[in-house]
Amino acid sequence: MNIISVGVNHKTAPIEIRERISLSEVQNKEFVTDLISSGLASEAMVVSTCNRTELYVVPAMAELNCDYLKEYLIAYKDARKEVRPEHFFNRFYCGTARHLFEVSSAIDSLVLGEGQILGQVKDAYRIAAEVGTAGILLTRLCHTAFSVAKKVKTKTKIMEGAVSVSYAAVELAQKIFSNLSMKKVLLIGAGETGELAAKHIYAKNARNIVITNRTISKAEALAEELGTNRVLPYESYKEHLHEFDIIITAVSTKDYVLTEPEMQQSMVRRRLKPVIILDLGLPRNVDPEIAKLQNMFLKDIDALKHIIDSNLDRRRAELPKVNAIIEEELVAFGQWINTLKVRPTIVDLQSKFIEIKEKELERYRHKVSEEELKRMEHLTDRILKKILHHPIKMLKAPIDTADNIPSKVNLVRNIFDLEEPNQSLQ
Amino acid sequence: MANIFYENSILFALTQLVPLLYLITTVLYGIHFFRETPLAGTLKQPALILTVITHVADLGLLTSVEGYRLSYSAYNLMSMVALTLTITYMFIEFTTKSDKTGVFVIAFSTLSAMFSSFLSAHTTSAGPAFSGIGIGIHLIAAIFGFSSVAIAGLYSGLYLVLFRQIRLNRFGLLFQRLPNLEDIGLLIMHAVGFGFFFLSITIIAGVLEQRALSETINLLEPKLVTLIIIWLLYGISLLIKPLFGWDIKHMAVMLIALFVLITALLFVMSLMTPSFHGLRF
Repeated sequence: MNIISVGVNHKTAPIEIRERISLSEVQNKEFVTDLISSGLASEAMVVSTCNRTELYVVPAMAELNCDYLKEYLIAYKDARKEVRPEHFFNRFYCGTARHLFEVSSAIDSLVLGEGQILGQVKDAYRIAAEVGTAGILLTRLCHTAFSVAKKVKTKTKIMEGAVSVSYAAVELAQKIFSNLSMKKVLLIGAGETGELAAKHIYAKNARNIVITNRTISKAEALAEELGTNRVLPYESYKEHLHEFDIIITAVSTKDYVLTEPEMQQSMVRRRLKPVIILDLGLPRNVDPEIAKLQNMFLKDIDALKHIIDSNLDRRRAELPKVNAIIEEELVAFGQWINTLKVRPTIVDLQSKFIEIKEKELERYRHKVSEEELKRMEHLTDRILKKILHHPIKMLKAPIDTADNIPSKVNLVRNIFDLEEPNQSLQ
Repeated sequence: MANIFYENSILFALTQLVPLLYLITTVLYGIHFFRETPLAGTLKQPALILTVITHVADLGLLTSVEGYRLSYSAYNLMSMVALTLTITYMFIEFTTKSDKTGVFVIAFSTLSAMFSSFLSAHTTSAGPAFSGIGIGIHLIAAIFGFSSVAIAGLYSGLYLVLFRQIRLNRFGLLFQRLPNLEDIGLLIMHAVGFGFFFLSITIIAGVLEQRALSETINLLEPKLVTLIIIWLLYGISLLIKPLFGWDIKHMAVMLIALFVLITALLFVMSLMTPSFHGLRF
């Protein structure tokens, strides 16, 4: 019994290749259904995101190997000109399980510890389950992967700390102010960056967010989306600077939107209460001289990247803990796979003894009363249970490696004269 | 004259155990702060509680040996400083649920406890001892007042460190683990408030006790003058922020200066003038 995975991801191929080979949800369903219908695989699942397209397959025939799967996917996407087998990685058996555990726990992601990948793996499993291509093996593999991801999230700090500029900006604000719901925020610029920062700070309970933008309608639209409905005309926001504890600027302009004299005046008016200015614009929107003012925290993108780097270092330091969790689950998964290999022998063994029991009881059926027969049946059941307990326990022993299972299975089959096992189950 | 610690084996053992427990607690808080080791996180609070209980037992036994009278000596004062600092910190930790700053406060307590233990081994006289509620309140309030002053000074230091780290874009360990600036500022102001309250109690209890005594206290006695100056400075610092709009950063600098000044004065006076406001007991 084997599980193969092949795929293209951010470590093996550039973005144009990843884009070319990725599958939409509809294509995903069609691809795994075709693969199962062809009779080559008994189970199949595809994880397809912007950073990876990976196939997880349980082969039904020996002909189905990694090269075949790569060609199958390339042919399905009609991408022979751009995508080559060298763009793919291969994994087998425990390697496949380890890889899916690493993917689900976000240590294989482009941004270490990013939070979206688990949802994407869950989506991949949902699709496979919906079209019926996820069997016992993939189901167990995926559920173990989800459990690994949950453990990693709760027992390590791999997902802690901001790793995007807008999140880092909010993290910094939280290191200065204790309660953002009590602070007044001014957002200058309602573009994509500003919107993202506003949403992040809103998520941290900042409710008093005032938005200003050259095109007032964009500011109004964002304010409505956030539910704050507070907008300042772009021409007059400078008159209100002293009212704000947090100022976020994200506009596209060559001139500074905040200058040193303006902020100095504002600081005097607010009696030097601390202010944080988060300059997310490129080129910078705020005069760097402002940073010298008392109780002023001015941070541009470069400064915020320091926070991101520091958080990424902390996440990297958690990798040994994550790997230990993965190892632990990998061993448990391997042991479960081993029990699958002995399951047919256990079933055959139990069937054999039940058959003997029923044959012997049948001989006495007309010689004893109904009640006596029931007692005899009950007695033989108990004897069988006790006789089979140790052989079954030995077969299921978790310390077994994959190598010594066949010899043990053959021994049991020979001793008890069991017929040859069903190959499809093995 | 024999050393009382050598005459009572339980008292001797407790006096040696207390600084050791402080050290263990500091190490646990330190490991949890710097390494975030879960085991240290689990053990640190029980260790803190055990340390306080042992220290209270130690002081209780010492007081009983001296006829249930509070003795005024350098080792006893340092021991009380360690205990009150830790109790004040414990109160802050339990009420604010913020256990991030423990290592900095308890390390100071550990130094005091070790210093006290060292002094106890070289002390033959327990020093003047007092009984009575008034003098007890006066002495304990003074020590709690000093503990609040110390905590205000320590938190002021942490505030300035974090402030500087953020200004210089150093987002390392202290940035990650310390509470935010506003919370530290709040802790500072609470500590100043507590300090002022306890120092006020010290003065009131002292005045009331003095009326009950036949001997007159010299108003120019150094400790008394120091206490009044400290009390005034803390009272003023409580008003500075709302009246003059001083920011926490400037307050922090002033509070550190006050803390250093007070500590130096107390050390010098405890060693140089072991009498209690010139009174004889």
